[in-house]
Order: sequence, then C-alpha cells, then structure tokens
Amino acid sequence: MTLVEKILAKKAGKKVVRPDELVEVSVDRAMIHDALGAHTIARFRELGVKKVWDPARIVVVLDHYVPNKDIDTAKKCLNIKRFVIEQGIENYYEVGKGGIAHQVLVEKGHVLPGTTLVGVDSHTTTSGVVGAFATGIGVDEMAVVFKTGRLWERVPGTIRINVEGKLRPPIASKDLMLFILKRLGVSGALFKSLQYTGSTISQMSFESRMVLTNMAIESGATNGIIEPDRKVVDFIRARTNHSFEVIQSDPDAEYAETLEFHAGDIKEPMVAVPPKPSNGVGVTEVEGTKIDQAFIGSCTNGRLEDLRIAARILKGRKVDKFTKVIVIPASQEVLKAALAEGLIATFVEAGAVVGPPTCGPCMEAHMGILGPGEVCISTANRNFQGRVGDATAKIYLASPATVAASALKGKISDPREFFREA
Amino acid sequence: MELKGRVWKFGKDVDTDELFAGRFIMGGDETSKSQYQEFIARSGLSDVGHRENIPGDFLTKVEKGDIIVAEENFGIGSSRQQAAETLNFKGVQAVVADSIHRIFFRNFWNLGCPAIDLPGISAEFETGQEIVINLRQGTIKNLSTGKDFEFRLIIPTWFIDMVEAGGLIPYHKSLKS
Repeated sequence: MTLVEKILAKKAGKKVVRPDELVEVSVDRAMIHDALGAHTIARFRELGVKKVWDPARIVVVLDHYVPNKDIDTAKKCLNIKRFVIEQGIENYYEVGKGGIAHQVLVEKGHVLPGTTLVGVDSHTTTSGVVGAFATGIGVDEMAVVFKTGRLWERVPGTIRINVEGKLRPPIASKDLMLFILKRLGVSGALFKSLQYTGSTISQMSFESRMVLTNMAIESGATNGIIEPDRKVVDFIRARTNHSFEVIQSDPDAEYAETLEFHAGDIKEPMVAVPPKPSNGVGVTEVEGTKIDQAFIGSCTNGRLEDLRIAARILKGRKVDKFTKVIVIPASQEVLKAALAEGLIATFVEAGAVVGPPTCGPCMEAHMGILGPGEVCISTANRNFQGRVGDATAKIYLASPATVAASALKGKISDPREFFREA
Repeated sequence: MELKGRVWKFGKDVDTDELFAGRFIMGGDETSKSQYQEFIARSGLSDVGHRENIPGDFLTKVEKGDIIVAEENFGIGSSRQQAAETLNFKGVQAVVADSIHRIFFRNFWNLGCPAIDLPGISAEFETGQEIVINLRQGTIKNLSTGKDFEFRLIIPTWFIDMVEAGGLIPYHKSLKS
C-alpha cells in the first residue's frame, strides 16, 4: 500500500484498503478557523449534542478576518471564543498568538506523522508535509466530526510526483509546483492523492515542501503527502512530546500513476496567469505586465525562507511608487524570527507595508482587496477570477523572489537579475 | 427516489469563489436558519455576467427544482459550504457533471442534494431540457431527447437515506432517536 493507504487503513482498523474503497476513519485532529468556525458551531448546536468528542483534539485558529474588520466578523469570532471556553479547548490561537492555521498546525507540532487531520479549509492539505493524511471538509461534516470524531473517506489512489535534480535558485518550490500544475491541470487529481518523491524533494527544506502539499489541492487532489524523513522527524520532535509512528509506503506499493519531472527542465521562474493556477508560463513571457499590488505571504509562501529571499532582493532598494506592496508573515513565530534577522526593517525601508500574521489578500477577506481592473502578483495559491475582489481584477501567482522583483519595478519582472550580481 | 427538473447547462471548472465570493463568507446570522438562508441565497454567484461558464440569465430565471448539468471539475477550490448552499437555497435540487471536486461533492450531498459525477454527461444536455434522475436505480434520462444514461456513484450506503432525511445534520439527529 502507499503511504496514504496505510494511514487510512490503520485509522479505519483494517489490514488493507484499496483506491476508491469507502472507509470510516478516526480523526486525530480537527481544525476550525474564524471564516467557518461560527458556522461549524451553529451546526454542532443543531445536532443537540452538549460536548465535543474530544476537546484536546480540536485546534482553533483565528486567521482570516482578524483583527476583526467589522461587526459581523467580531460577532462570529466572539461566538467561537465562547465555544472554546465552554468546551475546554486548549489549543486556541487568538490573533497575535498564532497566525495562519496551516502554519500554526505544523509549527506547534499539532500534526504528527501517520495521523489524520481535517479542517474547514481546502488548504488543510498543507499538513501532509509531515506524512499525515490532511484534508478539507465543509462545516456540516465538521459538526459531525465534533460529535463523533469520525469521518468517511473515499480512499484516494496515489499519483506519485517524482522530481529529480537540483532547482537552480532563485527557482524555488513554488516554481516547481506551478510547473507540476501546468502538466497536471486543475482537475488532474480529482479524488486522488499526490505523493511527492525524488531527490529534489529530499534535498528540499521542510518549508519548501509545504508549498507542494499546500497546493496539491489546486490539482483537485484529496490530499498531498510526503514520506517523513529525518528533517521531518527532527522538526516534529523539537515541537512536541507526543510519540508517533513514522509510516512509509510499501516497496511494492501500487501507484495510480507516476509522473516524472526533472528540476533542470524548469528553465526560468514560473508565473501562473489568471484565472487558473495551472496556467503556468515562464516569467519572460509575461515580463513587463504592469501591476498595482504585490503580495508576499499566505499559507503557501509566508514562511521565513520566503521572507529571506524577498528581503535579499528588496534590501537597500525602494519598491515602485505606484505599487502597493504587502508583506505578511505566516505566523507570529515567523514574524519574530524575521524581526530578529532584520527582514522586517528591510521591508519597511523599501516601502512595503507589513501586516499582522493572517491570511491577508490571498482571498477576498480582509485587507488588500483589489478594485476593478487592478493587477496583483501574489505568492498565494489561487488566481480564480474575483478571488481577491472585483471580478475584473487579475491575479498572477509566482514565487516570493519573482513577486519581490516585480514590486521594485511595478511590473512583472524576472528575479534572476538579482542573483547574477551576487 | 426520483428527481425531475429543468436543466441549466454550466461550463467547466466552476470554482467556489465564483459560486460564493469571499466578501460574503462572514455575512449572515448563522444562528438563525431563515435569515441565514435568505442571505446566502442572495449573496451567491455575485459575478455572473463576468463569467463564461455560467449562463448570464441563471440568477434571474433559476427556479425551485432546477438541475445543473455541468462540464468537468465542478466546484473546484475552497471548502466554503456556502458555495453549495447558495445553489440549493436558490432552488437547485441536484448537480450532474462530467466530474466534481471532492469537497463540493461532499458539501452538496450533505445538504441533502445529490451531486452526480458521470464523465461525458454534459454533452448530452442543453439549458431548458428536462432531466429525470433516479437515485436508487442510478439512471438519468433526458426527457427532451429521450436518451438514457447510467451512473455508478462511490458514496456511503447511508447517503440515500441522508438525502431522504434532508441532509447530514437532520440525518444525524434522526440517528439519535
């Protein structure tokens, strides 16, 4: 069996599971955030149950609409806080304490290898980076998980994404993911799992790998997953005392498909043109496209290594006079480290605005919303029409390096020139 | 269980942001069923007119009992249940598509509304035709052309009971008694 099949079999209490088989699994972690948390709670109350199945397994993070932007969002967050206190949920991250849920889940050691995680958010797939089965569900299902601690799942067949070779900086995991999506498309992995393997993945930092599991959902996949290696085990051990079992795919595991990629085939940084993440082109094809906003952040690319590479490009320079440049660290932990390294000072001196660790303008939630016809280049994960505001606004997806280079010029720019001079 | 309705033909890759924009996610009083439904029904598909994959007159002419027949990858994107709810509250009783994204698939069923994936089905329907779906038999009929189709869903056995109960929450409440 593949890694995901082995996890689902274990959690369903079965010896063997097969792709497309229906199983009922126990849930090790359940995450709600402010965007859909109050809805989940309302549906849970409707079930007529007084207590959640296990408060210690629930993680609550406020990240989309905080600090609250209006009365509606404040009311919903208040409902969530009251529920957390009433149910005795320890793992609660108020604004200023956590950051983006997917980042917090991983960096606080809430998700262990070989376990199951569900969240009311499609990018819950991010946590697959530790070798867990992590996926998104709606609020009615989460209400039932709160009651029962169980979830039915259609076992996804595994598509193996094997990547060999070395990425040439500034080409990074985001460029690789856009390259993969270009081939896979936005529906290439419906009801399937993406498992990333190969020398490129093992050489990659833990943070870079999170980009791949995060954006697995953009191919339609149920989840994204990577076999835990030493890097993962060390990362988790430094963050939790809980014991865990490291599960790997069987040597004779059957994959639905194996797609081979070579890092060297990515000749230049990638940009996904609107309105699909699978619309990847080389940056030179869209170089010079005028932008109104540049966003560095999100659960895809708001981590320390992302801020480092952006700061390397922005240091001692000024961003374009007419471009709104927004930098948002993915968590308080990332913000703290970025402050200590002087990265935040670099952004501020360059003329960027630095936001509190939240989702920011990844979606049309809070701050950085786009007006009619505006163009944004973003390190986030989706460029659907209307995703971040007006339906006539356009979103280009790229790596932190490409977004930083573009921020300086006010138009889509190739970051490689900043690496040649170094 | 038989569902009969008038067809709305949608294109491919209809995404959740288009079904329900981010700016409305925190709106509506989720503790009041009637207020919530009214808000969700009113706020969905706010960008229709700018979109190529949804008929321009869908919002003004959709009626209770209508059925969407879509091309591939319906409901790609976010886990926001409002994307499924807004269609249901506007009157759509079922979605049939060449393929359907996992989260939307689950969310729509959980409202008590069938989501049926059958590769190639979209080519067999046009807006305004009459469709009949028999859930237990696994058949679809285009009453306007007379053509029949068979589907096989990968869903838990209790899903049809859940539809008859009116959705996941009512179904779970009924389990208790």
